This record gives sequence, structure tokens and C-alpha cells, in this order.
Amino acid sequence: MPTDELSLVFGALADPTRRAILERLARGDATVNQLAEPFAMSQQAVSKHIKVLENARLVQRTRAAQARPCVLDTVRLDAAAGWIAEHRQVWADRYDRLDEHLATLRPRKEAR
Amino acid sequence: MTDTGELTFRRVHAAEPELLFDCMTQPQHLTHFWGPTGTTTPLDGIVVDLRPGGAFETTMVNEGDGSSYTMRATYVEVERPHRLVWIEPESRGGMKTTVTFHSLGDGRTEVVTHQTNVPAAFRAAEAQAGFKTSLDRFAAYLERITP
Repeated sequence: MPTDELSLVFGALADPTRRAILERLARGDATVNQLAEPFAMSQQAVSKHIKVLENARLVQRTRAAQARPCVLDTVRLDAAAGWIAEHRQVWADRYDRLDEHLATLRPRKEAR
Repeated sequence: MTDTGELTFRRVHAAEPELLFDCMTQPQHLTHFWGPTGTTTPLDGIVVDLRPGGAFETTMVNEGDGSSYTMRATYVEVERPHRLVWIEPESRGGMKTTVTFHSLGDGRTEVVTHQTNVPAAFRAAEAQAGFKTSLDRFAAYLERITP
């Protein structure tokens, strides 16, 4: 995944309200009204957050009914999670090899 | 901008902090373990100018197809054997890596790798608006919501 898309995802996730919206959508689709309920903010403000999530393609607005419920789009989330896992793996492997390298140093040190 | 997007990685090694610090900063050590699995980091591709403002560069060569990737960083703090900080201005949009070495007093050392400004987006206006996030928290959150 190009960094730009990843940046959009992380940028969208860098806000607690937007993460809360995603958590709500993970439990099921919801309209903007329903999403606005738990937050002490206007429907307009919530709409703005949803726009950011849509732009990052973490959320889709369905066109079925007039209510246009929001639906979680997990493709990008998976990609972002994959990036984190990959990044962690690089460090994990690096430290595994450092351990191996340390093991090769030890006998030489003890021989001295 | 200190805690916009971060990753923390902890590892305990059976060695004193001094040796671990040297391993992380001397090319003849780095060549043995730097670079992701499937790559090698040849000695002649490693640049270490161990002082604040000095260069830290590694060229990782893919064992499969021979392609290479160069990481270019600049050291920010160099405090042997406790602390090492570098910034990658180009490749990761200013990602800052802080490696600290904590002696456990029994010959073992805990190495904590802490990265901030991951990735580029966090330098954007949005990030400056004061957004805080922890990628660790994000990772935990993802585990909760993805099947």
C-alpha cells in the first residue's frame, strides 16, 4: 500500500472521536444520527468526522435507503494493521539476529 | 509533536549495555543483523558518524533480486551506553527512533525501541492540531474489531 494511503488511514485514526465511530460501526451499520448520539457534538461535526473516515476509505456510505447508513470498510484497516505488523516484524527479526550475533561474540570474549 | 503516532518495541538481550550500544552503532556489528529478513546489509554500505548531527546510513540488499534500499538517518542524541536517537528525514517523513538500553543488573539489558512520527501524515497540519494517537493502542483496537 502506498504511503499516501497509509498516511490517510493513520491521519483519520489520529482522533478519538473517529476511532469511537469506527468501534460503533464494527458492531453494526449506523446512520449519522445514530452515530452522533453518544457524542456531545452536533450532527454536522460528526458528519465532518465521517467525511474524513470516508476519505481514508475506512467507512462507506451505502446508497440503499434514504438514511444512507455508514458501513465499516475493513480493507484499509487490514492494510494499516499489516503495515504495523510488518514494521514490528522487522525489529523482531533484527533483534533475533542481534541475539545470534551476540552468541558468536561470547566465545571469543571468554577465550581472552 | 512528541506523541503523534508511536510504536514501542522491547527486547531483553544477554549482554551489557555497552556491548549492545556498540552493536547498534558499529558497522562491523550492524552488518550481522541490520535489515529485514531476506536482506543483507554489506559493511561497505554502512555509514556511521557517531555524533549528534552525524549520518547513519545503511544499504540493505535484497538477497532474492539484488535490489537495494538505503535508509538515511541523522543521529540526534548519542549517549553511550544508555541512549541513541536518530531521525529519518526522507524515508519516513521524519520518523524518530529512540533506542534506550536499561541494564537489568544481572548481565542482561532491556532494549526499548520507541518510534514517533510514524508515518509521514503525522507531520501534517492535522497532527499539529494536537491529535494524539498511539499505534500500539491502534493495534490493540484493530485486534478487537477485526475478525
